[in-house]
Amino acid sequence: MNAIQTGATAAACSAINQVIADLPEGPRTMVGIATFDCTIHFYNLKRALQQPLMLVVPDVQDVYTPLESDVVVPLAEAAFLAMKSTGGKLLVFQSVLPSAGLGSLSAREAEGRSNISAGEKEAHKLLQPADKALKTMAIEFAEYQVYYYYPFSALSDPAKLYNDLRWNVIRPQGFEAVMRVRCSQGIQVQEYSGNFCRRIPTDVDLPAIDCDKTIMVSLKHDDKLQEGTECAFQCALLYTTVYGQRRIRVSTLSLPCTNMLSNLFRSADLDTQFACITKQVASEIPSAPLAQVRDQATSICVNILYSYRKFCATVSSSGQLILPEALKLLPLYTLALMKSTGLRSEGRIDDRSFWINHVSPLPTPLIIPLVYPRMIAIHDLDEKELDDSTIPSPIPLSSEHITDEGIYLLENGEDCLICVGNSVQSSSLQQLFGISSVEEISSQFTLQQYDNPLSKKLNAIVNEIRRQRCSYLRLKFCKKGDPSGMTFFSHMVEDKTQSGLSYVEYLVHIHRQIQSKMA
Amino acid sequence: MAEFLDLESQDSVRMPWNVLPGTKADAANCVIPISAVYTPLKPLPAATPLLPYSPLRCRNCRSVISPFSIVDFSSINKIWICSFCLQRNHFPPHYQSISEQNLPAELFPQYTTIEYETTAVHEKAQAGSSNVFLFVVDTCVIEEELGFLKSALLQVLGMVPENCLIGLITFGTYVHVHELGFGQLPKVHVFKGTKEVTKDQLLEQMGFFTKRPRPTTGVIAGVRDGLSQESVARFLLPASDCEFVLNSILEELQKDPWPVPSDQRAARCTGTALSLAAHLLGVCVPGSGARIMAFLGGPSTEGPGAIVSKNLSEPIRSHKDLDKDSVPHYHKAVKFYEALSKQLVHQGHVLDVFACALDQVGVAELKVAIEKTGGLVVLAESFGHSVFKDSLRRVFKSGDNDLGLSSNGIFEINCSKDIKIQGIIGPCASLDKKGPLCSETVIGQGNTTAWKLCGLDKTTSLCIIFDVIKKENPDIVAQSANNHYQHGSGQMRLRATTLSRRWVAGPGIKEDLISGFDQEAAAVVMARQVSFKMETEAEFDPIRWLDKSLIHICSQFGEYQKDSPSSFSLSPRLSIFPQFMFHLRRSQFVQFDKYENCCRHAGDFQFMNGAGLLLCHQSLQNSPDETAYFRMILNRENIANSVVMIQPSLISYSFQSGPEPALLDVASIAADRILLLDSYFTIVVFHGSTIAQWRKAGYHELPEHQAFAHLLQAPRDDADAIIRERFPVPRLVICDQHGSQARFLLAKLNPSATYNSDGVAPGGDIIFTDDVSFEVFLDHLQRLAVQ
Repeated sequence: MNAIQTGATAAACSAINQVIADLPEGPRTMVGIATFDCTIHFYNLKRALQQPLMLVVPDVQDVYTPLESDVVVPLAEAAFLAMKSTGGKLLVFQSVLPSAGLGSLSAREAEGRSNISAGEKEAHKLLQPADKALKTMAIEFAEYQVYYYYPFSALSDPAKLYNDLRWNVIRPQGFEAVMRVRCSQGIQVQEYSGNFCRRIPTDVDLPAIDCDKTIMVSLKHDDKLQEGTECAFQCALLYTTVYGQRRIRVSTLSLPCTNMLSNLFRSADLDTQFACITKQVASEIPSAPLAQVRDQATSICVNILYSYRKFCATVSSSGQLILPEALKLLPLYTLALMKSTGLRSEGRIDDRSFWINHVSPLPTPLIIPLVYPRMIAIHDLDEKELDDSTIPSPIPLSSEHITDEGIYLLENGEDCLICVGNSVQSSSLQQLFGISSVEEISSQFTLQQYDNPLSKKLNAIVNEIRRQRCSYLRLKFCKKGDPSGMTFFSHMVEDKTQSGLSYVEYLVHIHRQIQSKMA
Repeated sequence: MAEFLDLESQDSVRMPWNVLPGTKADAANCVIPISAVYTPLKPLPAATPLLPYSPLRCRNCRSVISPFSIVDFSSINKIWICSFCLQRNHFPPHYQSISEQNLPAELFPQYTTIEYETTAVHEKAQAGSSNVFLFVVDTCVIEEELGFLKSALLQVLGMVPENCLIGLITFGTYVHVHELGFGQLPKVHVFKGTKEVTKDQLLEQMGFFTKRPRPTTGVIAGVRDGLSQESVARFLLPASDCEFVLNSILEELQKDPWPVPSDQRAARCTGTALSLAAHLLGVCVPGSGARIMAFLGGPSTEGPGAIVSKNLSEPIRSHKDLDKDSVPHYHKAVKFYEALSKQLVHQGHVLDVFACALDQVGVAELKVAIEKTGGLVVLAESFGHSVFKDSLRRVFKSGDNDLGLSSNGIFEINCSKDIKIQGIIGPCASLDKKGPLCSETVIGQGNTTAWKLCGLDKTTSLCIIFDVIKKENPDIVAQSANNHYQHGSGQMRLRATTLSRRWVAGPGIKEDLISGFDQEAAAVVMARQVSFKMETEAEFDPIRWLDKSLIHICSQFGEYQKDSPSSFSLSPRLSIFPQFMFHLRRSQFVQFDKYENCCRHAGDFQFMNGAGLLLCHQSLQNSPDETAYFRMILNRENIANSVVMIQPSLISYSFQSGPEPALLDVASIAADRILLLDSYFTIVVFHGSTIAQWRKAGYHELPEHQAFAHLLQAPRDDADAIIRERFPVPRLVICDQHGSQARFLLAKLNPSATYNSDGVAPGGDIIFTDDVSFEVFLDHLQRLAVQ
């Protein structure tokens, strides 16, 4: 009932309704609908029928498709059965825990809380699949993406739901894909990670792949590489386009080899390195206590910096913390990672689970924004003259940069929080949001464009962010001094918090560890 | 004979012995058991009133008061003495005004059978409940058949009385329970065909408790116990409310969409569909009259009750397979349907089967469920055939030829201490009411004095078989049969029939017994017995048993000098009995491998063309389905109809004389005659060769040959008259002498002239058979009887 009460069902229906028009046309495009409550409902959409025929499958323990064809003109397992012969894409809209039938889950968070005495060590277990069935099904489904709207708001979420769904349907994508990476001698693939399934060890099977999915390939040496030579990598992806063409995409990369560590550090790519660290750490969360995972993050960071210190900066005095130019922000992002939704001890299990799933296929450019969001001031948009970019330069995530007179926008590619200080000029509020005082703010809102330059600029900014992030963003208002404010300030990763160090403290901590390693 | 018909019209009863043998030994010599064929709902003579009150019952044995009860008017408190247990009963106060001159109707001597309307007692329970029809439709049929079936169903929908409730289940690989009351769009609940669903699962899964919580205790049983009216009305709707929805569903009904490999049969889950139908009715309308009407177009191959595997390389069981017991599915399926019949009987619901296929569909397995619930059964080769279409229409027809469908009958027997009840052969189920009146010998539904008749109609006839214990009392014995049932109108009625028959004992009783011998009833009782024994007794040899019985009767009751066959003669009372037995021996009830009704025996020729069908026509064998079908009809029909099944009637039409009965003999065939054969299931109009030539020449269309047109028309009119009254509607065969269809006639005729005989009359015919003719049979009989 929750779905209907919150309006999620209505939103999903209207989103689907609008999206149908955006589907690629052609004989290969087929659509099917299934709905579910305590039973599963399919619909026979055969053209000959005047009305669709609703087919209720009441036995949820042992699900089956009621029709041979016509259902897919094409929910969980049953829809999978319906699609089995055609392949395709399954979109599930769900609002509460499945409570009946295959893969039913109990509210594990409550369970987790009730045996809190078991302590931190046990918490990670909550993230392991409680039901084998879901896991087996996942092997058949493989590539997937979770969209998460919590709590569902009938006011602000339908638009995001629609845009997510639309993007899901229209973005460049392919089906029945198989991928393999080949390397020149001396290097071999150690591991693939991302959302996919593996049937044979050398290949990655992707029932569906799209432009938003990234697969991390870790490599290892299996021989010595010669200084001055080049090392080649080739990735081949065989897939079917939405129009039914079978294609192979080949990407080849050739990189010089070096024996000089300083060369290596000079050309280090922070975004990619940090993405690797994040994905690696994220994959550990379900199987290890959080504190241990956090320590692991720090020790990766320390090891990298220690190597640099030891092999590339030996001349400096030991009292100095020396960072490679390319990786100078590594400690900051590592700190942010430890305070992120996935690694912090507070927070809902569902949030953490979503975070893990989200990180796993996330493209590299979106990893850093996810843990270290971009914050900009929007109260003074008028005063700033923006040269080439629409978006003003970001502000470091520290509360000392936030004033009571300011309005700040913070986005991580998923959520977009707008924090309004307590003494903001009412004219700004009026111009931006059409309200006169902070009190009128409710956490749910939709961004509207008013006829004034400030509002226009804000809208332009938000749209530009959406474009950059390929995401519609969930907009939320935050007010200092209430829970929404807390959420906002929890993103101020450079601050000292109850459970975490401030940026400066963390740098000191890192430095000490390097020093102790040096000794 | 006439006196037995009079008795039948008064009491709806025919008995082989209307004078009873007084001792066990005498009874044994009678061979044919003391028995009665009772038609509980046979229309009573028009003058008989329907009494608008409940009957008086004996406070000791619960028998209903009857004209045989002795009433003592003299005492101040008037008293009646029960004719069975001799208990003295006081009349209730409202009977105080009765006197010898002022009798209540139930004491009139001519009202030994009378009906009471007892609705008052059940008024509350029956409020609003009228008949329920749950259609269970097979969709695993070819488009053409589905089209026929749809149009037949659409046609009868308009005939269902408005207040009747209707439900719809369709099935193929899956079972679709249609939620007719949903409104917005057609909605079905889909169940897997291979899996049996329990009643509880059905309650849970079909959302009976989404709006209102399930009671934590007790059995869920309709609106009275635990269900809301709305939740029932999702699936069962008054005909007037759902006509539109049902019409559109039926019009759009699709053939089962799952592909069938060419070497396989369609996946058809008849058993699961019927079980779900039973659950649905059990949940929604337990205890009130409801019929599951199953329309089957092929064999069940999936789930419980499957009669054959999907693999076409496995043929459907034949009689031979049954004899050898090489029937991998049969016993399991029968067991399943036995359980289903128990459930239906408990719920008071009926299973009707309309089986229309060239293949067998499993009527042999379904028989137990159809018969115990008193269901109707129609077997035809196509949904487009008039046997199916017209029969279905008859079910819903009101007026003169209506079937008089009633439901929820409870049939009880009380009888004098001197006789006991062995059991009933007929469409009923034992209610396990054991008592001192039950004989130790059990036949059919025995070991009880009460039976349930979930469904019954005007011709439903029960064959009750008794045992004679000993003669103690004076000359009369009384039997009383009470049948309490829900009339088609929804009223509860009770019909009480009380009979009395004379005893004879000691030497010289032969004449007395002969005077009370009803040979038609005797033939029918023998037929039901032999058919029952063939089904239940392993290694039973029906021919031998019939011959032995006949010889025994003839030597008991014939007039002859020992060892002199030529001296043998039979009283007119018995004279045609040997002929009945002769035809019974040759009938489809006894012989499987011989008969012409074999076009359906097709095995798996369903998708073949004409050549395949021709092949089946030639294979002269009845399938187990057909045999089961014939037996079920024999077991439920009245004496007159049963006699036609045993010994068909033949009428001859010619210019020389008006229509006249002809001997059922090949000698009756003549070139200038038309014969009308009524063998109950088939009606044959047979044109002699000359008549056929004239007809082909179109003489009947010429004004100067109007007499010929009339001659052609007369048998057709008579055939139509028979067809109008009969259920299931018989198959009409119109054929010419020497034509291929003529075999329908020839198979029934006495082969007095075969290819071995010489001197066939010109224009006559011979039969290619090695069967003995009646003359030879009679010769043998006389020889053996006098030994």
